[in-house]
Amino acid sequence: MKSAFLFPGQGSQYEGMLNDLPDDPVVKEILEASCEILNTRLELLHSKKALSTTKAVQQCLLISSVSTYKLFEKEGLYPSYVAGHSVGAFGAATASGVITFEEALKLVTLRGELMENTCDEGYGMAVVLGLDEYQITEIVNKLFLESEPVYVSNRNAPTQVTLSGSLIGLQKVLDYVKTHGATAAHFLNVSTPSHCPLFNSVSEELLKELDKLELRRPKIPISSNSTSRLLMQADAVKEDLAKSICHPVRWHDAVNLLFETGTRLFVEMPPGEVLTKLAQHAFSEVRTMSISKNSIEDCMYVMKN
Amino acid sequence: MVLKNVGEATKSWTTRVEAKRERVEKVKNLVDGVIIPTNRIVEALELLIQTGDRVVLEGNNQKQASFLSQSLVQIDPKKVHDLHMIMSSISRPEHLDVFEYGIARKIDFSYAGPQSLRIAQMIEDGKIELGDLHTYIELYGRLFIDLIPNVALVAADKADSNGNLYTGPNTEETPTLVEAAAFRDGIVIAQVNEIVDELPRVDIPSSWVDFIVVADKPYELEPLFTRDPRHITDIQILQAMMIIRGIYEKHGVKSLNHGIGFNTAAVELLLPTYAESLGLKGKICTNWVLNPHPTLIPAIESGWVESVYCFGGELGMEKYVEARRDIFFTGKDGSLRSNRTLAQLAGQYAVDLFIGSTLQMDALGNSSTVTRGRVAGYGGAPNMGHNPGGRRHSTDAWFNLKTSDDPLARGKKLVVQVAETFQEANKPVFVESLDAISVKDQANLAVAPVMIYGEDVTHIVTEEGIAYLYKSDSISERRDMIASIAGITPIGMEHNPKSTERLREKGFIALPEDLGIRRSDAKRSLLAAKNIDELVQWSGGLYNPPAKFRSW
Repeated sequence: MKSAFLFPGQGSQYEGMLNDLPDDPVVKEILEASCEILNTRLELLHSKKALSTTKAVQQCLLISSVSTYKLFEKEGLYPSYVAGHSVGAFGAATASGVITFEEALKLVTLRGELMENTCDEGYGMAVVLGLDEYQITEIVNKLFLESEPVYVSNRNAPTQVTLSGSLIGLQKVLDYVKTHGATAAHFLNVSTPSHCPLFNSVSEELLKELDKLELRRPKIPISSNSTSRLLMQADAVKEDLAKSICHPVRWHDAVNLLFETGTRLFVEMPPGEVLTKLAQHAFSEVRTMSISKNSIEDCMYVMKN
Repeated sequence: MVLKNVGEATKSWTTRVEAKRERVEKVKNLVDGVIIPTNRIVEALELLIQTGDRVVLEGNNQKQASFLSQSLVQIDPKKVHDLHMIMSSISRPEHLDVFEYGIARKIDFSYAGPQSLRIAQMIEDGKIELGDLHTYIELYGRLFIDLIPNVALVAADKADSNGNLYTGPNTEETPTLVEAAAFRDGIVIAQVNEIVDELPRVDIPSSWVDFIVVADKPYELEPLFTRDPRHITDIQILQAMMIIRGIYEKHGVKSLNHGIGFNTAAVELLLPTYAESLGLKGKICTNWVLNPHPTLIPAIESGWVESVYCFGGELGMEKYVEARRDIFFTGKDGSLRSNRTLAQLAGQYAVDLFIGSTLQMDALGNSSTVTRGRVAGYGGAPNMGHNPGGRRHSTDAWFNLKTSDDPLARGKKLVVQVAETFQEANKPVFVESLDAISVKDQANLAVAPVMIYGEDVTHIVTEEGIAYLYKSDSISERRDMIASIAGITPIGMEHNPKSTERLREKGFIALPEDLGIRRSDAKRSLLAAKNIDELVQWSGGLYNPPAKFRSW
């Protein structure tokens, strides 16, 4: 049976999350290496204060997901495909062997810093449920103001779409959609307008940094954030890693593609089960598991059989 | 004067059979009679298929020649490439993988639901050249005109050592696909689950078949037509009651096809209960063209059904069908014989009614099931869901739809579209402009993928009521009729209560009350079977649900 490992993005993090990782020398090794590369201590990485910055969030998500992935690697259990949501794409690329863990950690650190420095306060993201991307796009276009820009960003499910932009602009759209068909609409707990043109410069800087590295061909096909195609060349992965921060994440399509390629088992790396729930809801005939919920032993068992 | 010298010496009229002989010659040391060894299939395919060939691959709705498709994808594209694939149903990943690897270049097909995102992407990326979308029967027709195949790759249950094939319940369109290749000097290769000494019966004679190969696993089968009654909603039951009373009873519908869906499953399950209470047994729903729907079991057991002709089989229904020979079409051996081509023909010309669910409809009644960013194709619905101009014979229901006294006036096939006014989460079904238009533009299709055209729709059923669209020729009046049952969708909002009253009086629309139906009567307790287990009980244990439908 074909399987896919999913790497979560921002939103799943929580205080002290790195303590909940499986107790294994491989994990410890990654944790120690991370502290060394980042010149910090573990407690400072996943403290409440640290996790209020997108930089630390991205670092922790990478560390958590990749260290867990390496446990499967150690057992010789490889998925048929990988996919990561937003920053999760770096974990996916690491798992696929395109970049090393160290390269990935430095890249997400840079990514986080650039994101924090590019937009000041007054920007963020929101989520709208109950309307599809075409309905929301029409609304967002109608209400668009250059001074308070709002963009339609991530397509997480057919009727779960995020918006990114100025908080004032977002509030206007939220107020409107709440009385025009949305079943729910609220701000997300992020302080940066990810996955929209406001981050074009972040994308350019990331690309410059990626260009300096020598990327390797993906060993496991990656379902892409920005195009929802399978990436099987190093250059295509590079482009996706750089570009995705200023383009919408077509997550639903990326998972739909994996479903069409025959994937019937989705396993989500820690933390959380956000992607698991999305996949189960979208494709009822697949089996979904998350390390957080189902334990790594159970996930490994299913992978073996 | 007779021209004698023209082309005497030079022209050959047997190039096709000569070319076939050459191909077959290439594998003579590889094969054992007509049998290709299982482990040499890829090699054989590379020799029997040539670059640029038109290849039919099964790819049916239910049955998949999965061993052959998985072998095809292993062909060396340097040896064989740029094939033109012709498929009823693009269902499996490897059906599109062949395009990724350059083994195939172009495709003509009918249905691509299970691969609708990938094919849309590949069309956009230029990795696949789209011939066109078709209904099933159009595609089969072209196999004899301008899409004549060089090679047919099909699946059967069993073969004997001569190459006679038994396809049994899952015969589907195999005979048609094979015929087009077999009688045009093409090459027919069949994968079989096993070779036996004696077949239960011959579905495809060996003189139509060139080679057989024993597959490594039985061919894949999808249980597409099984609907768990647990998921039927109260609204669907209300609609089913309206359909039975306001359409089947009203027009005397005796022969019909139910399109796939929970709406129609609800109708099937209401025959022994609600329809029985109306005294309709024997008066409606006697002759069916339908796959062996498990949800029809209660109606069959209760004596409603005279006959059922099937497009294909349905996983789990084999024993039940064999035990009900008086109802189904079975061979001398007792097992079901299906035939998609003939069933589509019957469904087009020989039934009173087609009914199907739709996801989107415009104010003219044009109906579509597309999702933007996906190319799913058509399947059989447009073929069933239109009024065939070539029909000449009359039945009560067909004649009942005649609306004029003009001496040349004729009846009409009932084509019913069912929808709730909103799809989940605020997506109105009734819209100004169909998404099909965007899909046409995005995928560069020749025509917008409309499933059923408004001019063919005779009835629309929503949770609000029925619109008897056939009763009016006026575009604005038809629009009014649709608006009056379109709820609070934008189209529905334009309805004028006064005109709704007028339409009701004229009998152009009917609300549940007008049909003597109370909304509160529409309860799950009306379903003859409320879950899969009860269907099994109705069948006396003969129905054997596939694993995914079992809850025990």
